[in-house]
Amino acid sequence: MLVNEIMTRKVVAIGPDTPIRDVQLLMEQRNIRHFPILEERSKGALDSLVGIVSDRDLRLVGADHPRAPANVTAADPVKRVMVTNVLVAHPDDPIEETAKVLRDNKIGAMPVMDDGRLVGIVTGIDMLDALIFMSGVREASSRLEVELADRPGALAGLLDRVASRNVNVSSVMTSRADEGSVAFVLRVGTFDGHGLADHLRGLGYNVLWPPEASEA
Amino acid sequence: MSAATPRSGPTRRVVFVHDPRMAQFELHADHPFKPIRMELTRSLLVHAGLLEQAEVIAPRPPNDDDLLTVHASEYVEAVRELSAGGPQTDAARYGLGTADNPIFPGMHGLVSLICAGTVTAMDSVATGAALRAVNLGGGLHHAMRARASGFCLYNDLALAIRRAVDVHGLRVAYVDLDAHHGDGVQWLFYDDPNVMTISLHESGHYLFPGTGHTYETGKGAGRGLSVNVPLEPYTEDDSYLAAFDAVVPAALRAFAPNVILLQAGADPHRYDPLADLSLTLTGMRDSYRRVVALADELTGGRLVATGGGGYDPYRTVPRAWAQLWAAVTGREVPSSLPDAWLEEWRDLLPSGSELPHLALDGQGDFPPRPKREQITRRNGVIAQRVVEALTAVWQDTGLGGAVTSR
Repeated sequence: MLVNEIMTRKVVAIGPDTPIRDVQLLMEQRNIRHFPILEERSKGALDSLVGIVSDRDLRLVGADHPRAPANVTAADPVKRVMVTNVLVAHPDDPIEETAKVLRDNKIGAMPVMDDGRLVGIVTGIDMLDALIFMSGVREASSRLEVELADRPGALAGLLDRVASRNVNVSSVMTSRADEGSVAFVLRVGTFDGHGLADHLRGLGYNVLWPPEASEA
Repeated sequence: MSAATPRSGPTRRVVFVHDPRMAQFELHADHPFKPIRMELTRSLLVHAGLLEQAEVIAPRPPNDDDLLTVHASEYVEAVRELSAGGPQTDAARYGLGTADNPIFPGMHGLVSLICAGTVTAMDSVATGAALRAVNLGGGLHHAMRARASGFCLYNDLALAIRRAVDVHGLRVAYVDLDAHHGDGVQWLFYDDPNVMTISLHESGHYLFPGTGHTYETGKGAGRGLSVNVPLEPYTEDDSYLAAFDAVVPAALRAFAPNVILLQAGADPHRYDPLADLSLTLTGMRDSYRRVVALADELTGGRLVATGGGGYDPYRTVPRAWAQLWAAVTGREVPSSLPDAWLEEWRDLLPSGSELPHLALDGQGDFPPRPKREQITRRNGVIAQRVVEALTAVWQDTGLGGAVTSR
């Protein structure tokens, strides 16, 4: 999955001289937490990214808080509180890479830039939505968890066996990885998950879920 | 009506919907759905004398108009053609021709008949011709508007609900005790203010169909009217009934239905090979009795019940549905099952299969589950979460007001 597929495209961008008060108002009215700040490069267009400001930066203005910016009021321009060394993503970045950058830098969002142009914004919440989608149930299906040897063809072999039972696989996720082995969670399009599991056990697979009938 | 007064003696006017054709089919030989379980159940009821005062009636003639109140016409048309041996090019689009939902000749007519059975049961109760009605052939809760799923081609329950709402003007509470989430019925009425769906099931995190999470609570005019209690694998009687008691009475009282439709799938039992709940016959019997008592309290007794899942066809299903029928008719299943029943089937079962002699499981039949305490605690948290979330919604939508003003 790429940033392109999960980012927000309609971005509310503001100029560096916008009063903080106006941005705070926008933040509350539009329920927005991160604003890229753009400057005019060519005439009449805000097209050059110069900073980003978050809801936390805005809330600290005038607050009785050790991290509150000194001598800044809501009447001042937003450039007084914006962050200028902005980390950006590209629309073709894989989302796991973007997630790692957000996590490592403890930031909540990144503007998405393509060829010097702002094309979107991607946030931690977008990552959660992606996680919900990836681990979610797209169609009626059963959970099948299988431990496989960590070698070429192991997963392909399993999928082949499932396909030969005329059962569709609607999602695959890694649930854990140890030395030499990987466990996968598959959502399989069958009501009879136990029947499929027993079949796979008969072929020598280590099926972690569902359990054997005798355990049930 | 006297709300919670215990009934004395058998309940009169209970309809048993029966048509031998409903049990005379096979998906294919090694498919886990075994129609023989219906004949085993009926025969047990006959030998135990439990059908004597019942009114046994046939389903009304099946008709496509009923089907079209729920299903897409292109889907019904496709099923009819496949059923008649037509080309299978489009089958996969409709969830057909898979391992779960094989195409078999005559399937359209057969499942239409099952649907007509549940509609007939609902009609009998809605018109007052009977107080309660049971169609053990029904319970196909996974079927969607234009898709077969989980052995279910058409959704007889949804058809009966549509008829109760549209033709008879009733508010319907649907209670689904099958081990699998009642997804088809839930989604078909997800925004309907006249229908509450309640499902207790093994969590979709582990079991088919994968839905039925606590946060699925309905939308639009149906907000707060989808109730889901996802339970841990290996849940036993006490924990199951505690979750039932925490959620179901409060939900039904808040909604104040005119009739209850119960889907009594027999697969929450410990013996069931397709699901992982660990109920005994006692727990299942007590859950049926609770639903009947709630019908007495809230709907003047009006209740329609169907079968559903149940993949341990010899030991479990006949005993479970005998308890269902006994609960619905206010009678008891004899603790020793009739010899004549065992005798009738002695040579007719596959080798290695045996019928049980006792109505309930023995105290020592099952060792306690490991992790019982954790499972019980977890189920308690889930039930509490459901009640708290829904109570907030009901207050918001004014549904709770219906209870206090009664």
